[in-house]
Amino acid sequence: MKTKAPHLDSDTVGELDEVIRKRLLIDGDGAGDDRRINLLVKSFIKWCNSGSQEEGYSQYQRMLSTLSQCEFSMGKTLLVYDMNLREMENYEKIYKEIECSIAGAHEKIAECKKQILQAKRIRKNRQEYDALAKVIQHHPDRHETLKELEALGKELEHLSHIKESVEDKLELRRKQFHVLLSTIHELQQTLENDDKLSEVDETQESAMEADPKP
Amino acid sequence: MTIFSQSVSPCGKFLAAGNNYGRIAIFSLSAALSSEAKEESKKPMVTFHAHDGPVYSMVSTDRHLLSAGDGEVKGWLWAEILKKGCKELWRRQPPYRTSLEVPEINALLLVPKENSLILAGGDCQLHTMDLETGTFTRALRGHTDYIHCLALRDRSPEVLSGGEDGAVRLWDLRIAKEVQTIEVYKHEECSRPHNGRWIGCLATDSDWMVCGGGPALTLWHLRSSTPTTVFPIRAPQKHVTFYQDLILSAGQGCCVNHWQLSGELKAQVPGSSPGLLSLSLNQQPAAPECKVLTASGNSCRVDVFTNLGYRAFSMSF
Repeated sequence: MKTKAPHLDSDTVGELDEVIRKRLLIDGDGAGDDRRINLLVKSFIKWCNSGSQEEGYSQYQRMLSTLSQCEFSMGKTLLVYDMNLREMENYEKIYKEIECSIAGAHEKIAECKKQILQAKRIRKNRQEYDALAKVIQHHPDRHETLKELEALGKELEHLSHIKESVEDKLELRRKQFHVLLSTIHELQQTLENDDKLSEVDETQESAMEADPKP
Repeated sequence: MTIFSQSVSPCGKFLAAGNNYGRIAIFSLSAALSSEAKEESKKPMVTFHAHDGPVYSMVSTDRHLLSAGDGEVKGWLWAEILKKGCKELWRRQPPYRTSLEVPEINALLLVPKENSLILAGGDCQLHTMDLETGTFTRALRGHTDYIHCLALRDRSPEVLSGGEDGAVRLWDLRIAKEVQTIEVYKHEECSRPHNGRWIGCLATDSDWMVCGGGPALTLWHLRSSTPTTVFPIRAPQKHVTFYQDLILSAGQGCCVNHWQLSGELKAQVPGSSPGLLSLSLNQQPAAPECKVLTASGNSCRVDVFTNLGYRAFSMSF
């Protein structure tokens, strides 16, 4: 049985290509499925035209077996198709999970970066503190300095007291000496006066003796 | 060639570097750090002539790049800077006492709270310039020799300046007066008379300050004006900065040094220049993928450290 040769114009050439491509694809691993169906059609026609009972029966059996072979391969292809669909779903699921975990990892990285910045700030503060503490340690303790200051203050007071008393004594002595010296001077003056008076008396007497008779 | 200064763009994707010939180069950090970086990505996208003298200092505001060197400060727009033939937006010169010689500007500092810029350099004064109007508002006098570096103390509006006269002076901007002076060379823990008394680098973290140069690199507690830690490195340091819990410093000698506040050297990462003059940390929030440390100094190369532990690559002028 032959199909009529199709009209060869541009559209049908395109369709033919498609059909040929599809048939080649489909018949990829079928290795004779198409041929089997053609054979089946031919053997069906032969069986219809067959004569004897036995031949017909054997041909009938043969046709049934071919049919079941075709069914078997079809079933296999369906199962493979199913399997592929499920694999696809599985891969989709895994893909989504991986995307989620990538996003999670990104977030964790951002979080960690923030923590690093924070830790760096803390370290900087600690180092600043250490630097200042080192400088402060060089200076002596405040309590001790205050105590020293107090002690020094007391000494100062004590010494100023002593100075005052010494000065007072000095004043007193000075005054006493002043009184002494002034009394000596007065005595000197009185003695000098007495001397002068006695001198005057002597000259008067000698003058009267020198000129006795007027 | 010497690269004196660096500055990161507000978007975080570009780095400007200024050299001693007065040219500024703009590098694309995002291109150089991307996975398809080629040799050309490590070359500047544009270079242009900015000043007649070396570009000693640069800072970036959120739209402008400010560069200073030969006595003038110029402003450039970041959005326009990548186009050829970029012209400066404005240029200003602080009022100098003598008009005969124009002193150089060594340091620039932005004060965001009052939207002003502080310039300091060869004339021993700190000039404040208002960024809106361009007028010079204050001139702080006190240093007896030229000023090398500036730092801003965030919490109180104070500025620290360090200079050739060996003193670090704190200025209160509200009363425009000097409030504290620390004469570093007079403390025997850190003074190194054979190096001189100049303060080359300054950084502050509100209560603490680290400074170095002629005297040894030392950590100071500002409120008590006491030196707490002296970092054991002989080479004078030219740039220092606080980063997280570390202090990064660089100077003579090709390494970037990582110190802990206790004085221990945590790491010493070699760069490619024989001496380093400037460090820049790109911490712009708009470009976290370009968060790198760049170092430049006595060569035409800018080293890029992607992870502080090693030098990833170098970009070249």
